[in-house]
Amino acid sequence: MAVLHAWRAARVTPLGELHAPPRMTAALVRLVVQVVLVASLWNGLYAHAGPTAGLSRDQAVSYAVLAVLASRLRELDQYAGRDTVLQHMHFGTIVYWYLRPLPPARYHALRALGEQVYGAAWALAGYAVCLATGVVRPPESALVAGVFVVSLLLGQLVLYFVMLLLDQMCFWTLRNNAAMLILVFAQNLLSGVYAPLWFFPGWFRAMSAFLPFQATLSVPLSLYVGRIRPADAAGQLAIQAAWAVLLFLLTRFLWRRAARRVISQGG
Amino acid sequence: MHAVRTAWRITRLNIRAQMEYRVEFLLNIAIGAIWQVSVIVFATVLLARFSGMGGWDSSEVLLIPATRMLAHGLFVLFLGRMHGIGRFVQEGKIDIYLVRPLPVHRQVQLEYFPTNAIGDLTVAAGLMAGALGRSHLDWTAGRVTYLVVCLIGGMLLEAALFTAVACASLRFPAAGYWGRWLEELLGTFGSYPLNVLPKAVGGLLTFGLPLAFVAYFPAAVLTGHGHDTGVPYWLAAASPLLGVLAYLAARLLWRWSLDHYTGVNG
Repeated sequence: MAVLHAWRAARVTPLGELHAPPRMTAALVRLVVQVVLVASLWNGLYAHAGPTAGLSRDQAVSYAVLAVLASRLRELDQYAGRDTVLQHMHFGTIVYWYLRPLPPARYHALRALGEQVYGAAWALAGYAVCLATGVVRPPESALVAGVFVVSLLLGQLVLYFVMLLLDQMCFWTLRNNAAMLILVFAQNLLSGVYAPLWFFPGWFRAMSAFLPFQATLSVPLSLYVGRIRPADAAGQLAIQAAWAVLLFLLTRFLWRRAARRVISQGG
Repeated sequence: MHAVRTAWRITRLNIRAQMEYRVEFLLNIAIGAIWQVSVIVFATVLLARFSGMGGWDSSEVLLIPATRMLAHGLFVLFLGRMHGIGRFVQEGKIDIYLVRPLPVHRQVQLEYFPTNAIGDLTVAAGLMAGALGRSHLDWTAGRVTYLVVCLIGGMLLEAALFTAVACASLRFPAAGYWGRWLEELLGTFGSYPLNVLPKAVGGLLTFGLPLAFVAYFPAAVLTGHGHDTGVPYWLAAASPLLGVLAYLAARLLWRWSLDHYTGVNG
C-alpha cells in the first residue's frame, strides 16, 4: 500500500509533463541547442590553446556538456502544477499537506524523486546521443564509471536537501523567490555549471570547498573526466556523504519546527 | 502627460508595496546584482584563461557584457514585466486588465516595481565604467552617442524578443519556459565575441535568435572589429535600428495576440 502511495506521489510531475507536449518539445529543443552551443564554445576557446587549468580540450568539452545534461535532472516545472511550497504558502493550501495520510516530508521527497528519475531519463538519453556522436568521451575505466555514478547520486541527494532548505524557508518568510534565485545562482556558479571550478582562482576554489555546492556537480563531473583521480575519490565521496547526512539532519529538524508554524485560519 | 502622471503614481505605490517585505526587497536588489555578477565572473574567468578571445583584447571584450548588461537593466526597469504573462493568464489577471480603462500592455508593465533592476543597473553601470576606463579607444562625442543609441536599441531588441514570447504565453501559458531559456542564452552567449563559435552556430545566434545585435555587433563596430563579424558592416552598424524595428513588430504582434485572446475560461 505504501509503495502504491509512493508511486502515485512520485509520478505526479512527470505525468503533468507527459500531458504537456509543447513543454516536452521545448525541453528537447532547449537541450539539443544548449549542448551544441556549449560544445561549440569550449571547442572554440580551445582552438588556439593547449591544456588549461589541468583540463584538456576533450575533458573541458565533456565536463561542460555533462553539466548541461545534469541540469536536466531537476528542471521540471512544479510551478505550472501549482505545487511548490511557495505557492501553497501564497494560497494557504499548505495546510492540506498536513491533513493527508502521507507526511509532508515524505510527500516532498517522493515528488522530488519522481522528478529526478524523469529528468534522469532525459539526461541518459542525451548522454547516449552525445557519446555516440563523440561529443562526450566515455569514462576511462569501469572503476571511474562506477565512482562517478556513486558520486552523482550523492550529489543529487545533496542538491535535493539544499533545495528543500529553500522550500522550508517559506514557513518562516512566506516568500522565497529572491532567495531561490540567489541559490540557483550560487548553485550554478559554485558547482561549476557556468565554467568548471578548475578555471577559477585558487582562493575561489578554497572558499567553495567549505560549501555544499561543489559536492552536487563539480565532484562527480571532475571524477568522470579524470580531473580527480580514482585514487583521490574516497575522500571526495566521504565529503559528499557528510554533506548529505548533515543536511538530512538539519532539514528533518526544520520539518518538525515548520509543522508548529502551520495554522489553519478560520478554525 | 496624464498617462505619465498615472504611471508614476502607480509606480510609487508599487515601490511602497514592495518595501512592505523589507528583506525580500533587499534580496531582490541583491539578486539583480548577483545575477549580473555571474555574467562578469563567467566572462572574466574565460578572459583570464583564454586571452585574445576571437582576436579581441580583454578591454574590448569587456565592452560586450557591459553593453548587454546595461541594455538588459534598462529593459528590466522599463519593459521587463513581459516575463510574467503566463502567470497573469493563469491567475486570470489579463481578463481584469481588459475591462480597465488603461492599455493592457501598460497595466502589465505597472503590475509591480522591478526592484531587481536596481541591482542590475548598479552592477552594469560599474562594469561599463570599468570597460570604458580600460578601453584604449578615443571616446569622441560620436562614439559615445552611438553607444547610447546602441544601449536603447539593445533594450528594445530584448524587449521585442520577450514580447514575442509573451504573445505565445497568451495562448500557451507554459511558453514562459522559453522566456527563462532566452534570458539564460542572452546572459551566457551574449557576453563574448561570437566569432569564437563555428560559423553555423554564430549564424544561428545572429539570424535565428538575433542575440548578436544586442551587444556583439555594436561593440564590434565601436572597437573596429566591425568588418570581421561575418555580416556586412552596414548591417552590424544598423543594430540599434533593428532593435527599434523588431520592437515595433513585436508590439503589432502583441496587439494581434491580445485581439485573439480567449481567456482561461474559454
